[in-house]
Amino acid sequence: MKKCTLPTAFPFQAPRPRLPSGIVLLHRTLGFWTALVFGFLYLPIVILVVYSFNASRLNILWAGFTLDWYVRLLENGPIIRAAKNSLIIASISTLLAVILGTVGAWLLHRYRFRLARSIQTLVAIPMVMPEILMGISLLILFATIGFNLGFTTVIIGHVTFSFPFVLVAVQARLQGLDPALEEAALDLGATPLQSFWFVILPCLRPAIVAGALMAFTLSMDELIVTFFTRSAASTTLPIQVFGLARVGLNPMLNALSAVFILATVAFVLFSAYLRKLNHR
Amino acid sequence: MSADASAAVPSGPDRRPPGWRAWALLAPMVLWLLLFVVVPAAILFVYSFCERDEVGGVIFTFTWENYQRVLDPVYLRIFLRSIGYAGLTTLLCVVLGYPVAYYIARAGEQRRNQLLLLVMVPFWTSFLIRTYAWITILKQEGLLNGLLQSLHLTVTPLSLLYTPTAVVIGLVYAYLPFMILPIYGSAEKLDHALVEAAYDLGAGPLRAFSSVIIPLTMPGIAAGTLLVFVPAIGMFAITDLMGGAKVPMIGNVIQNQFMQARDWPFGAALGVVFMLMFALTYVLLQRRGARLAA
Amino acid sequence: MKLPISSLLALSVLLAPSALTAAGVVNLFGWSEYVPQAVLDGFTAETGIKVNFETFASNEELLSKLVAGGGAYDLVQPSDYAAEVMIRRQMLAPLDPAKLPNLKNIDPALMRLPHDPAGAYTVPYMTGTVGIVVNTGKVHEPIRGYRDIFQPKFQNRLVVLNDSRELVTWALYAQGLAANDVTPANLAKVRPLLAEWVKLVKVFDSDSPKTALLNGDVDIGVVWSGEAAILWTQDRKFQYVLPAEGAHQFVDVLAIPAKAKNRDEAHAFINYILRPEVSRLISAAFPYTNPNLAARKLLTPEELANPASYPKGGRLETFRDIGKTATVIDKLVTDLKSAL
Repeated sequence: MKKCTLPTAFPFQAPRPRLPSGIVLLHRTLGFWTALVFGFLYLPIVILVVYSFNASRLNILWAGFTLDWYVRLLENGPIIRAAKNSLIIASISTLLAVILGTVGAWLLHRYRFRLARSIQTLVAIPMVMPEILMGISLLILFATIGFNLGFTTVIIGHVTFSFPFVLVAVQARLQGLDPALEEAALDLGATPLQSFWFVILPCLRPAIVAGALMAFTLSMDELIVTFFTRSAASTTLPIQVFGLARVGLNPMLNALSAVFILATVAFVLFSAYLRKLNHR
Repeated sequence: MSADASAAVPSGPDRRPPGWRAWALLAPMVLWLLLFVVVPAAILFVYSFCERDEVGGVIFTFTWENYQRVLDPVYLRIFLRSIGYAGLTTLLCVVLGYPVAYYIARAGEQRRNQLLLLVMVPFWTSFLIRTYAWITILKQEGLLNGLLQSLHLTVTPLSLLYTPTAVVIGLVYAYLPFMILPIYGSAEKLDHALVEAAYDLGAGPLRAFSSVIIPLTMPGIAAGTLLVFVPAIGMFAITDLMGGAKVPMIGNVIQNQFMQARDWPFGAALGVVFMLMFALTYVLLQRRGARLAA
Repeated sequence: MKLPISSLLALSVLLAPSALTAAGVVNLFGWSEYVPQAVLDGFTAETGIKVNFETFASNEELLSKLVAGGGAYDLVQPSDYAAEVMIRRQMLAPLDPAKLPNLKNIDPALMRLPHDPAGAYTVPYMTGTVGIVVNTGKVHEPIRGYRDIFQPKFQNRLVVLNDSRELVTWALYAQGLAANDVTPANLAKVRPLLAEWVKLVKVFDSDSPKTALLNGDVDIGVVWSGEAAILWTQDRKFQYVLPAEGAHQFVDVLAIPAKAKNRDEAHAFINYILRPEVSRLISAAFPYTNPNLAARKLLTPEELANPASYPKGGRLETFRDIGKTATVIDKLVTDLKSAL
């Protein structure tokens, strides 16, 4: 990761001075606070995972340990198919959202477009547009132009409401980004495109990662726009889950969430472990 | 291109007039917005001047009636309440999320992405399942009440679920990551030398935090506020599930026009007013921001 | 009728090879958790016709998706009043009774209801009622009707459907009026009563009102009979009562959209569902009232004893589409709720 500020006053990196006790205290407090917030974030998740092993169908009393819900989950064709669809749709729409959002944020930041303010406001509209309005109006549009519902229409819907999130996150990082950074690249003979690719983009990486995570998450959990733009073949997980949970919670859904979360957490831990091995 | 760029640099702001290449790069996004935001919004705009027929269809006439109905004090009150809930949610998200974002930004390079991912992972499960987990915790015979009773902190179980408190918990839970992530994006680039300079100049940690760190990460806070406050106004599922659907939010009202009442024109009118109010506020804020920057 | 279709089919096979696979498909738009997977699989195994099953979670979802122009469906599963809207908007195709020999199994009383007076467009799938479910472990007073439960002593102990039309209907019944008598004068009459009622309710939930009852957050509910039936199978303390003043009966039906392409397959599917042994599977999974009299003979005594599935007596009425008054009702209930 490149440093995103030019060395200005200090030509060399001074050895890190001993931190004052105040700053250490502050960091400890922050660490403690972070742990608490993570506890808040994961509390329902822990409960949900625990109940996925509950023999009772109802999320109420503990009736003994079982793996039955996991077996039923694996046997449930529609759910597995919907999970696959969701992953495909979320991946593609995240990719598109990141491209549209990042390029858009950079261009709006870098150039004085006429109508820039209108474009900026337009970008924010999908964030405020109630999902039902977006869903129905997109469906009317697709029906009018005779576009068959399917994966494409769902992805179009998802990109529309998720790319503004990427754009806003990237813009926040661009604000106050040292302009000298790009100028230096340009002075050294890079084309604007090269300076964007080799200098700006690496600097934006944290915001892009954050934006991509948001876009993926939004796509994985969207219900209403998807309902109106999908076909039977492109049904996503939230729709399947909503249908099941409509008649009361089913521990199979807990099992499904547990699989998702544990797979991701395992992936995170495993990649950390691999890195550690490589560093040795 | 690089020539006129360096020529533009001395003259104040770093923004350049766009060449055709910049326009060409921006074109996909503008096209996307036109096709999938402007056109659908235009459809709704047309509908908002129409009338509902007997069977719930749309008669294409011209009437102001739907907009007159929007001004009814009932809807105004609901709108204000939605803004109130969204505002409180945003505030709590900043308070809870800011330290987390800052902590993650200061963590080691590899840990950073892992922690970020861990912030997001709970949200890859369905909203409904997460909410049901909260119901398990908060309900009358639930885990929290059980804990409180076993610790003898309370004798009779507290009514937690289906209260405004439950709604706020649900809202904060749903939107917290959308505050943490943008703040992280701007805290990560924070030059730590500046913070250390503040310490060297004798500022205490709190002082350094409030007068150096927070102002420098303001763009992140602003972005997070936008990403939390705006969607939270239109949110209705959480108020339904955790609040028992007792008090309608503006999102419920709009949803109902397309579902139960089948009055699409009125629903469209509500939506148009909602979006216009937002766009207006947004433009005004941008203008003020631009003036402040100048 | 048979000859031209088969010759047309043969022709289309000659013209386009892909038509062959298209003929073996039925696109069903139905309720989630209302059609057992085993029934779909059984139909495909027997006929070779593939079922593309797309789900919705409320009549309103179904209507709005269809009205906005979505989907190419061969078979839809609305409730009575939604079917009535679709018939009035000419969105449904008439059924061909010759292709539905099993229609004779259906309770004739359910075939000529006001939403489809000639029985030309719809076939009942399941029926049910909206009634009161009481946790007799916590409530010892006798409960007979709406007036008994909307009482100050039950404040914050009630769950009711989150549906404006339902709420208004109960209030109409409580005042001795009929469910479909939704006139401005009558609405004005029930308004003060509803204003009191709304204050007493702890939870409004149409999707899974049983959750709040099972969790012990409330003790009394006005819910779909299917929800009450599930509660009863969980614990006999949950007793179902059909309100004495009158109760809403709903009939969920199968119907073929006017634009459907695979009508033969759709008819074949309806006829398959109407078989007693198939219909019996649906009852086992979703304990609503089975309109299929031949299938009812196959039910277990316990299933038949469920007071929510097969309630005794009661004054029942189905909903009619009330046109623009739906808007007025929505405003009324929004108004009352936002005053809370």
